[in-house]
Amino acid sequence: MIKPAKDEIHYILLKLHSLTGIVPVGAFLVIHLSINSLRTVGVWPFQLAIDALNNLPFLILIEIGFIYIPLLFHSLMGFYIIHVGKTNMFRYRYQRNWLYTMQRLTGAITFLFLIYHMGTTVGAKLWEGKHQFEAAPFLIDILNGEFQTWQGILVYTIGIFSATFHFSNGVWGFCVSWGILIGKNAQRNGAIVFAAMGIGLTFLGLATVLEFNMNPIPVEATVAG
Amino acid sequence: MTDKKINFKIKRQDKPGLPSYWQNFQVPYKPFANIISCLMEIQRNPTTKAGITVAPVTWDCNCLEEVCGSCTMVINGKVRQACTALVDNLEQPIALEPMSKFPVVRDLQVNRSRMFENLKKVKAWIDIDGSHDIGEGAIMPDSDRAKRYVMSECMTCGCCLEACPQFSLNNSFMGAATFNQVRLFNLHPAGSMNKEERLDAVMGEGGITDCGNAQVCVEVCPKNIPLTESIADIGRQTSWQFIKNLLVK
Ligand code: HEM
Ligand code: SF4
Ligand code: SF4
Ligand code: FES
Repeated sequence: MIKPAKDEIHYILLKLHSLTGIVPVGAFLVIHLSINSLRTVGVWPFQLAIDALNNLPFLILIEIGFIYIPLLFHSLMGFYIIHVGKTNMFRYRYQRNWLYTMQRLTGAITFLFLIYHMGTTVGAKLWEGKHQFEAAPFLIDILNGEFQTWQGILVYTIGIFSATFHFSNGVWGFCVSWGILIGKNAQRNGAIVFAAMGIGLTFLGLATVLEFNMNPIPVEATVAG
Repeated sequence: MTDKKINFKIKRQDKPGLPSYWQNFQVPYKPFANIISCLMEIQRNPTTKAGITVAPVTWDCNCLEEVCGSCTMVINGKVRQACTALVDNLEQPIALEPMSKFPVVRDLQVNRSRMFENLKKVKAWIDIDGSHDIGEGAIMPDSDRAKRYVMSECMTCGCCLEACPQFSLNNSFMGAATFNQVRLFNLHPAGSMNKEERLDAVMGEGGITDCGNAQVCVEVCPKNIPLTESIADIGRQTSWQFIKNLLVK
């Protein structure tokens, strides 16, 4: 059977968009929010984790290969998907239709937030050349400042909410489009489980923001040895 | 009673490609009137509310009992069958529009051949003829029969496509009705012999990956077909098919 390769490419690209939303991008989001929430336990565990990450071998390759490329791919495909659909949630007011629109909206908001967030963190870190043990005090200093203004808190709250909503609703979409949740009950129960997961992740993120806001403690670079 | 009127606002279009325009009509009230009976009244007396005699409004209908799907149109903003839309349950003036996602033929008539083309693409039938006797068919479990019965009720009306945010006049999305047919025929013991061909047909542009899970289709389907179950099932079947294509072919 001969089939135009264009169709196969289309199928693979959309499946990859779906998959990259879970791994590595979604997995990264979960790990990222979890590690950050160490800040609620204390500034030392947090610094320890950042030190560990910034001393990983081939860090820049890991970041590019496992985060930046998949994220950029997922985002560009995401904007293509947004462009193909046309929301009609005001005409057909059903819950799922509303979530469909929210999935697109939060994707776009997350994209904007990530430009800002990466600019003030990794971007600044690379620009100033703060590597290994120098990264943690530099980053913690920036974050301490960001969470002192209501604008900063607002931007992070919206950003975190968009990302966790988009991810949780996205896991549901993934499970439906790959045929993991098929029946009506299965789909509804899955939605409840993933909503709970989303609330948990949002809580982790916002607790971290609150901790930074209330206890902006500066740190010294860890001295090896 | 006799001077009670039913008010209509109808979107009209004289020919394919021409701009559309609205006209208001009034017909005498009759209890239990439906949209088709009112359209027939307008056909008998094609005079607008302003008193101008115009060309009668055209529409499609056939069974008048919600089994053929031909009278599907947008009534007060929602897609549904005109024959089962009772005037007494509708807010006036009743707005009638042709479906927006199919090319208009004239007034309320649209061309739904895209749906039939898609049925051909996915071979929505079972091959039973051969040049030789191919024997009796396999037995089907009753649970499959029951599932297939519900799916088989599709009347190709187009509601699920009209209401779908991913389906538009100028893209190639196949839509829920088509995916449901793939599931229907793949579940049949004889139909499953062409399973892979059907799956391949929905694994390209406009295929299963282009569904965004907005699930409006299942809400508007007049036959209550579990379309989102069919979509998820075809999602599963195509995912396996993809892995198989990668590893076996
Ligand atoms: C924190 C970063 C992100 C994560 C964790 C994430 C995760 C996911 C997941 C798991 C899905 C479900 C895939 C599926 O439906 O099968 C998804 C879908 C989607 N993502 Fe993202 N995403 C992220 C960022 C973005 C960005 C920046 C955009 C850009 C606009 C975007 C646009 C979309 C769109 C439009 C969909 C819907 C696909 C559909 O329903 O067909 N996402 N995302
Ligand atoms: S689930 Fe949504 S996007 Fe998919 S076919 Fe139904 S209405 Fe369209
Ligand atoms: S699946 Fe339902 S809404 Fe769609 S064409 Fe068939 S009967 Fe109409
Ligand atoms: S005329 Fe057949 S469904 Fe209305």
